Amino acid sequence: MKPETLEQLRTAAFALPAALFMLVMMAVPLGSVIAQSLSDETGFSLSAYAKIAQSDLFLRVTISTLQIAIGGTVVALLLGYPIAYFLAKQPPRRRAVWMILILIPFWTSALVKSFAFTVLLGHAGIINTLLGDIGLGPYKLLFNRIGVMVGMSHFLVPFMVFPILTNLTGQPPELAKAASIMGAGKLRIFLTVTLPLSLPGVVSGALLVFILALGFYIVPKLLGGRQDVMLSSLVDFYARELIDWQVSSAIAVILMIAALIAAVLLAQIRGGASILSKEAS
Amino acid sequence: MEQATSGWRRTVNLLAIVFIAFLLLPSLIVVPMSFGNSDQIIFPPKGFSVRMFEKYFSDSGWIAATLLSLRVAIWTTVLSVCLGVPAAYALVRGRFPGRRVLALFLLTPIMVPSVVLALAFYVFYFRIDLTQGELRLVLAHCVATLPFIIVTAAAGIQGTDPNIERAAMVMGAGRLYVFRTVTVPLVMPSIIAGALFTFLISFDEIIISLFVARAGDTTLPVKMFSSLVFEVSPVLAAISTMLTFLSAAICIVIALVQKGEDPK
Repeated sequence: MKPETLEQLRTAAFALPAALFMLVMMAVPLGSVIAQSLSDETGFSLSAYAKIAQSDLFLRVTISTLQIAIGGTVVALLLGYPIAYFLAKQPPRRRAVWMILILIPFWTSALVKSFAFTVLLGHAGIINTLLGDIGLGPYKLLFNRIGVMVGMSHFLVPFMVFPILTNLTGQPPELAKAASIMGAGKLRIFLTVTLPLSLPGVVSGALLVFILALGFYIVPKLLGGRQDVMLSSLVDFYARELIDWQVSSAIAVILMIAALIAAVLLAQIRGGASILSKEAS
Repeated sequence: MEQATSGWRRTVNLLAIVFIAFLLLPSLIVVPMSFGNSDQIIFPPKGFSVRMFEKYFSDSGWIAATLLSLRVAIWTTVLSVCLGVPAAYALVRGRFPGRRVLALFLLTPIMVPSVVLALAFYVFYFRIDLTQGELRLVLAHCVATLPFIIVTAAAGIQGTDPNIERAAMVMGAGRLYVFRTVTVPLVMPSIIAGALFTFLISFDEIIISLFVARAGDTTLPVKMFSSLVFEVSPVLAAISTMLTFLSAAICIVIALVQKGEDPK
């Protein structure tokens, strides 16, 4: 063996423990979920998929999952873009301080946030009290779609901010300057230069957020109502309430495929080779 | 024209600040709420007391849950760092075939919805008959956190000059020795940041824990979740405040640690 090849093997060996661990603890369990979705007592069978294809419950939950995930992605984009744009315009030092203000909610437990929103949005919560003071409401803001969307977008906004911010700060400032010298106003520069250039950041942010949104479990459970059940709850319901692992696995596989498709698109946009470095930045 | 442009800028700034305020809102309200003087959880709170904290610290169930979460998070962090940092090294420095596939494989848990992983562990543990409660949690959490430590450590290793390692190796040091004595100390800030992230992810982890924790092993998030579903306890406000401070402290430490890394 060439010494160089040997050297490469030695470097590769550093990843061996992690690779073995993930093989046993992740690949095997995920593989057995896939296998389980494709077999019943007699062996190979697509009966679980046939069952869910005919199930009204599954159809209804899939529709609400897509509605909530797409809605959450759109709201997160509408909130996240201005934040990213604002951060990009700050001088680096001040940006770092603002970043901490984004990172604190980002790292706050979803349970804490959901708890806070139950108090804020409740019937006697501060939002309804304030609305009451100006003669409106009370509105039902909790245990329905509104509650889910509020909690969900709150969770998702930071995931949208980071890729867009990376893109915006990566744009050469000369472009905007050139446009400005040519007489373009700030709004025009934004619409014709900054915004089109930031689209890759927007798309990768949106895909990332959509992947996350598809698998939401806690927020719809705590802030949503009966109409806001998502596929992840259905996985849980079949697995732990009905003890029907086959159907539960089939739904999990569908969820996984949907997330993987979005992830592949994401990798394409970010350039497959640099996925590691981009992810880190 | 000038007026229109500054108006645009002002509108964007205002929107952004309102949205950031929205992000901070939950953190901002749980803290005063937890010092309220009544047994009801209300905002704005009435009076001032530390009653909710006293309740938390005198309730053995909550304390046991906290200690379990703490133990699981510590073990998860240790295991994740030991597996993840060398893996990051191989992915960044290696030029072996299949490196990209390996990277994607190790980062898979980021892309798979938590509930799918949760179901996978749930079924897998049943099959292999793993009943040790803490081990069930630690192994599962480790799968979920490994990508994060790998990504953070990889970023750190990418920021160091490979020539330093090469110099040490030319001097006759073995690869493992160089990794331990040169690479790891150089990327310590990233490792610390990654370890803190890992700790926090594990400590707050809920979906996987809901599936794999056995009846006797309630982690803090699992106990909070059931309290939120079944009977909202005022203790939640106190815990939320403490968790918010924990997150804020970790964020600030990471910001400081990574700032110290910048000059390179």
